Amino acid sequence: MAAAARFPVAPLVIGALVLAAALPLVSSNYVIDVGLTVVTYAILALGLNIVVGYAGLLDLGYAAFFAIGAYTTALLETLLHLNFWETIPFSMLLAGVSGVIIGFPTLRLRSDYLAIVTLGFGEIVRIIATNLDITGGPNGLYGINPARLFGHDITSPKAVYELGIAFLVVVLVFVIRLGRSRLGRAWTSLREDESAAEAVGVPTLRVKMLAYVMGAVIGGLGGSLFAARFGAIDPTSFTYAQSVTILIIVVLGGRGSLPGVILGAIIVAGLPEALRFIHLWREFAFAIALILLMLVRPQGLWPARLRHIAAPSATAAHAVPEAEPSALVADEAGDVPAPHRGTLLEVRGISRIFGGLRAVSDVSFSVRQGEILSIIGPNGAGKTTVFNCLTGVLQPNEGSILWGGASLVGLAPHRVVALGLARTFQGIRLFDDMTVFENALVGMDHRYRVPLVTEMLALSGARREAGRHYAACRNWLEFVGLADQAGMRAGDLPYGDQRRLEIARALAGQPRLLLLDEPAAGMNPTEKQSLMGLIRRIRDLGTTVLLIEHDMLLVMGVSDRIIVMDRGGVIAEGRPAEIQANPRVIAAYLGTEEDDEDVGALGAVA
Amino acid sequence: MSEFLQLLVAGLTTGSFYALIALGYTMVYGIVRLINFAHGDIFMVGAFLGWTVLSALAAMHMPWGIALLLAVLLAMALTGGIGVVIERFAYQPLLSAPRLSILITALGVSLALENGVLLIYGPGFETYPHLVSTAGFVIGGAQISYVQIGIIFCSLALMAALYLFVHRTFMGTAMRALAVDRDAARLMGIDVERVIQTTFFVGSALAAVAGVMEGLYYTEINFFMGFIVGLRAFTAAVLGGIGNIPGAMAGGLIIGLLEAFSAGYVSSRWTDVIVFAVLIGTLVIKPTGLFGERVVERM
Repeated sequence: MAAAARFPVAPLVIGALVLAAALPLVSSNYVIDVGLTVVTYAILALGLNIVVGYAGLLDLGYAAFFAIGAYTTALLETLLHLNFWETIPFSMLLAGVSGVIIGFPTLRLRSDYLAIVTLGFGEIVRIIATNLDITGGPNGLYGINPARLFGHDITSPKAVYELGIAFLVVVLVFVIRLGRSRLGRAWTSLREDESAAEAVGVPTLRVKMLAYVMGAVIGGLGGSLFAARFGAIDPTSFTYAQSVTILIIVVLGGRGSLPGVILGAIIVAGLPEALRFIHLWREFAFAIALILLMLVRPQGLWPARLRHIAAPSATAAHAVPEAEPSALVADEAGDVPAPHRGTLLEVRGISRIFGGLRAVSDVSFSVRQGEILSIIGPNGAGKTTVFNCLTGVLQPNEGSILWGGASLVGLAPHRVVALGLARTFQGIRLFDDMTVFENALVGMDHRYRVPLVTEMLALSGARREAGRHYAACRNWLEFVGLADQAGMRAGDLPYGDQRRLEIARALAGQPRLLLLDEPAAGMNPTEKQSLMGLIRRIRDLGTTVLLIEHDMLLVMGVSDRIIVMDRGGVIAEGRPAEIQANPRVIAAYLGTEEDDEDVGALGAVA
Repeated sequence: MSEFLQLLVAGLTTGSFYALIALGYTMVYGIVRLINFAHGDIFMVGAFLGWTVLSALAAMHMPWGIALLLAVLLAMALTGGIGVVIERFAYQPLLSAPRLSILITALGVSLALENGVLLIYGPGFETYPHLVSTAGFVIGGAQISYVQIGIIFCSLALMAALYLFVHRTFMGTAMRALAVDRDAARLMGIDVERVIQTTFFVGSALAAVAGVMEGLYYTEINFFMGFIVGLRAFTAAVLGGIGNIPGAMAGGLIIGLLEAFSAGYVSSRWTDVIVFAVLIGTLVIKPTGLFGERVVERM
């Protein structure tokens, strides 16, 4: 991975594309024909790569979108006499709509179930095409006109090939821009940890759906090109085997890696041609080669680069005054309607029942603006369940949660984040295979105001906003002490740094309330000391902190108020000194004297 | 009524194949979380090995009962062995690699098996020797053959045996332990490698039985037969809740019946559309299949 990152990839790919475009000058029609097959597969694989490589979802029926594009072009040309270019928007639109159709039932499924559902979808599309009269049944459709450009039919193999290269370049630019956009980051975060992505503000259901739609749109475009190339199509071009071939290209090349995907297309489409001399053994040899290549390089031949966006330098980041943490937080506080400035969050009588267990029972408390409030209690007291209810991960069975006067109950986690509550997790949940900087960016991405299209076109407004976000994220990393590690892989950070990155990722969303779930777990005394300082600095910026923690030194040292929970209920509430003196709290932690007497009595009997 | 009964028996017969093959998918998935895309082709290999043995024995004029028994046992042993070899060389090195990599090697193994059989046996159909008579009986106007009855009972017996194996033996307990937590099982002193190999052996052997049954029932076998049957069996495993053994059995029978009735009452051209539509519909309502349990994640 590191070796690939040092490689000057961009000039190499451009050089390869120029060479590929110049291929017809020196090659026979046979080579050009194989070349066009490679180009078609490369386009399709770039589309599937969005689903498989970027978003980490599975699609074994991708050929269906290819089919929909091809049949749309064929039908519109033969029935309505549209020309090739006029049919393309319809191909892409129809493929995109079917992306929604396939995406919808699969949204709630785990990846292994996706395999069969997408496979089934692919088969359904193929069987429908084979059985309907309008699609020409098993014989398919023919008499599709070639593309026309500047009054010339694009019919010669070399001309069609150049058209294919042009399409490939367009698709390539599109997927590069997508990969660097907030949507690309959202896909990667989804791939790395879906629940964590949702919890930092990624609308995971919509983002998943968009992966299928974007992949489908590119598949549709590939289908149109295919129809114009051959002038005739039939269902045998859109089989499960075709879907599998495209998937093999993506995984063999290196999922998520654009040069890898193109390399995969060259190998998978070109290798069988190169193996023609062994005749019958060809397919068998290809299968064995595929197994061996995967064994030798499980990540693919050209694995994806880790870093998509570099963090700005310290001077560049501090040159943007509105991207300083203090300015960002002050900005948020200004939005609060005056009557709610005192109490930020009010929890009224919430309960949560698992099976027969009341994990949380009639819990009420309120969080005041600008304080550090801690929830303590023995293991199993229901602290994390309260957190999960507040952040939308779980819904309480009873009670209400009011945020600035409005209810939070029933909102998806990413909606709660957008309202200004951000959290960290008891067990660290970072996006391991993303950089430290991009982890923080994901936390901030829900704050984008410009539309995605503007961002992908890199219009000036979008560039300005992106610049501000990059500067802010870098400053948040600096705030927690990770500025120098911005380019590292998040999964490679030492334990304490991973904890701090989780905090930075949550802060990047500019929450008004930060919920920390056992941030000191596993830290050594020095790390705890610096964590205490960090929590105070967060509060001093103006962000309210709600903390779950077992470390009493930290809790007593940092909290303004403390809530004690035991067996699902609140048993005490007050200042640290009051809590330390409260007999019920001491009983919950150490057992009561009556218990001691019981133990003594038992001892006497024995 | 007679048509219904006819279709019911036909559906249960094909459902028996699907159930036996679905068990292989589901057991392997339960233990190593791999969708073994080569499993349909393992079934095909089993059918060919059974055919080879049976043809050889038939040529020696062995009584058909003994010949069939030998053919089934040999096909089971050999196919099971092939399953273990595949696991050892193509899957085991990738068990800790990204999930998609191992999926691709499974697809590679599938291609290799198909083309390997193509190279050895050629592209045409092979015909199973007519050892078993096509005789049968008529009940309620439906023509039912002894082969159908034999297949249904044989596969029910195998499923019962598997159930006992998984629940009453040490190896079966080890398998269930692995399915819950492979690392914890290793720490408890279970020879994880051997359990995985046993799982592949048992799954492949069951598929081989289904292969021989298919040969006896339809009489013709082909190198490409593993794809569609494998696909149906995989669908059955997912429908029942992948990783769940009773689910695979039920799923197999449901898919078999669905196929028979949709072919009988609609049209065989639409069978796959109906099967997949039922599957997708079921998963929309119950995302983990009929018998699958919800995986609860701790935050």
